[in-house]
Parts: sequence; structure tokens; C-alpha cells
Amino acid sequence: MEAFLYTAEELYDLIFMDSADFLLLDVRNNEEFEKFNVEGPYLKETLNLPYFEFVEFEEESIKKVPKGRKIRIVCAKEGSAKYVGDILTGAGFDDVGYLAGGIGTWADLLKPVLIEKNDRFDLYQFVRPGKASLSYGLVCGKEFFVCDPARTSEFYLDFAKDHHLELTKIFETHLQADYISGNRGIANAVKADIVAHEDDFSMAVFDYTTVKDGDVISCSNDGVLVKAIHTPGHTPGSMSYLIDDKFLIAGDAVFIKSIGRPDLGGKVDEWSGFLFETIRKVILKMDDNLSVLPGHYMDWSEMTPEGQFIASLGVIIKNNSEIYNCDNLGEFTDFIKANMRKQPDVYAEIRKINAGLIEPSEDEQKTMDIGKNECAAST
Amino acid sequence: MGDEIKTVKSLDLTGLACPMPIVKVSKAIREVNQGEVLEALTSDSGALADFPAWARTSGNEILKTEAEGENTRFFIKKN
Repeated sequence: MEAFLYTAEELYDLIFMDSADFLLLDVRNNEEFEKFNVEGPYLKETLNLPYFEFVEFEEESIKKVPKGRKIRIVCAKEGSAKYVGDILTGAGFDDVGYLAGGIGTWADLLKPVLIEKNDRFDLYQFVRPGKASLSYGLVCGKEFFVCDPARTSEFYLDFAKDHHLELTKIFETHLQADYISGNRGIANAVKADIVAHEDDFSMAVFDYTTVKDGDVISCSNDGVLVKAIHTPGHTPGSMSYLIDDKFLIAGDAVFIKSIGRPDLGGKVDEWSGFLFETIRKVILKMDDNLSVLPGHYMDWSEMTPEGQFIASLGVIIKNNSEIYNCDNLGEFTDFIKANMRKQPDVYAEIRKINAGLIEPSEDEQKTMDIGKNECAAST
Repeated sequence: MGDEIKTVKSLDLTGLACPMPIVKVSKAIREVNQGEVLEALTSDSGALADFPAWARTSGNEILKTEAEGENTRFFIKKN
């Protein structure tokens, strides 16, 4: 028996949908492992044992891997996982897989999860477990709208092709700092419109259609309506998009746990004020029954048994009472400042990429785009 | 030059992907004497982090790391 290839999709199924007992063996060096590693709700055990330990101390290293369990190996590219996999199968392990394409394929994986299907439209959440990010797809007739696409634009283009859809609009809730947007990759391939607020995108060097509070966009002629709502705070140009008066794609304005941090632009006092106003004047006045679809999740407890990240606005307001009950701007700003972590250095560069100001190589972008987001205030 | 490092062996590992650069270096360092230095040139982007981590694991010492265009040259002393 030899070690076999497995895909990032199969890894998702193992750690998101199944309570299968397996050991994830990460053979990258400790430093890379600490920076970013595979996480998931049903992942019981991860062992970080670098491949060069197998090179130097083969027998001792084999002894550190528990026998009788499924082993799924991850490395940077693929070769080292195969190397270790072959050593283990040679030593009598019989269910050993190595990840095709390495950790990067996991970092980029997008998994479509159906949120709503009715006779008028389908709404998808595209879960990116490597980033804890969520993008969205709205299908009405033959038309396909995408919101907050990840860097891997081919995924959305393939989805459109596979479902025989025309991808016509790309909505941005805001100028992202934590991941590279796939908006231009899509727009260049299929001539779709990028829709975004100018308070975030005024410095962008590519064409986009400006959107403002109160705009209503129809998906398909006379189809389902998308209502644009200005919800500044995380950024000045943050938009939320209300689908069919029921589903609120909230970007980084409202999360199921916590709220989008208003300090990433370096103007924490001013942007905290925007956020405070947005909460008091917009969010708290919305219908509690709206289903919120956030731009990120904080942890697995937010996931429904169907694998969705969705919650009613009323439940969110109740569960984050220290944020939503605060009616004093000074106290609110103090609370925000007390709950901030340092933002990753790479965020400044990612903002520039997302505005089209710089364009590093594919490989560099892939590396910059790896890692979990840091967009929420920690509460 | 006082700071020039005298090496007993030179490995060209360019074009090799992980794990082969480490596998080859590990084998080569077993063949030199304690205190001797070997140099290895690699094009593998993972090597910058993996070589020092491997050296710590195997008890050897990276004396110097030089960038040569896209490649990296390591000077490794056997301890």
C-alpha cells in the first residue's frame, strides 16, 4: 500500500461535515506551522512534525505517529508530504494521504454552501476556511451576482460556467485589507461591473460603478432586488447589501460574534464614530428577523449543522450586547480601543493591491493572501 | 580576506524541490568531518526557513546565508 493523494476539498469534508477520526500530520517547519495551519470544527488532533526530522531521525519520528489511525499529511507544496507518506506506508501504516498542491490549496479553498433556494433565486455562501472569510453568489434566472470574491477568480468563473450563468456584477462591501480581491480577475474575463462605494474606492485605478445608500439593483429583469445600505465604520465606504428584504450581506459591518474593527485605517477615533452612528441609526433600526450573512466568522461555534454561517439580526444584537447596548460614544470608542490587536503588516500592501496601485506577481500575491483574517474586534 | 569561509564540498541543488535539498544536504554532511564546512546552492523558496530549522534539528550550524539572484547559498558547518 502506498500513500495516496487527497485534495483540499476532501480535507474540508473530513473536518467540516464528518466526525471521522484522523490525525492531521503537518510536516512543515514549526515557524510556518505557527503562522498558519489547518483548522476545522471536527479536527481532533494535529501533529506538527517537520519532514526534516524524518530525514534525520527516521525511526524515532515514525514512533511519534500513532498507529492504527487515518493519517492525512500536509506540507508546503506536496513533495515533502509524499516523502513522509511513503516512509509511513513503508513502516506499515495503511491509510496515509498527502495533500495535493500543499497548504496553499487549503488556504485558497472555496466551498459553496446553499443558503436559500426558491422559485425566484438561489443564494450561495462561499466559505473559505483558510481565511475564515465568506463571499456570496446570487443566482436569478441566468444572471449571477458575486459579492466580495476571493483572489481565486477562476472559482467564480467556473461556477458560472458550470451552472450556465452570466456573471454580470461584482459587489464589494468595502476595500478589503485582509485578503486580495478577485474582482478584477473576474471583470477582465467576462466584462462584469465592479460595484463599490467611492469613499473606499476613490483611489482605485480601475473602472467601477459607484453605489450609494438607497440604490436598488435588480438581478435579472424584474428579478430579485439588491438594496444597498451604507454602513460605515469598519471602513468609511462600507456597504451592506439586502437581498429580497430578507438576507443582509453585511461585509465586515456586522459579524455573528463581535463587529468589524474600525481601526484598520489608522483613524480609530473618527471611524469608531462612524461605526457608533451606523449601529444606532441603521443596524438597530433594522428588522430583527433579517438573516445576517457576514464577511467573516470568528470560530466554528457560529456554524450551523448545515455548514452555514448565518444568524438573525435579533440574536446577534442580543449576543453582542456590550457593543449594541452602548449608547455613549466615548465609552464605545474606549471599548473598541481596548479590544484591538496589531494588524498584520501585509494589510497595507493588500489595500494597495485591491485599489490596483501595485501588482505583485501571482506567487507573491498567493503568499500575501495566506492566513486567517484579523478583521474583528476581540470581545 | 579574513572572513572568507573555507569549504570542503559544494552542492548544486538548484532545480530541486522540497524535500530533496534537505535530503541531499543531510546525506552530504554525514560524509564530511566535524568542523568542516559545506556549501549548498538552492533555488527552493522554502529553503530559507527550512535550512535553519533543519540545522537546529540536526545539530549543525549555518555560518552564512547569501542571496544569489533567485537562489540562496548556505554555508553549513558540521558540529
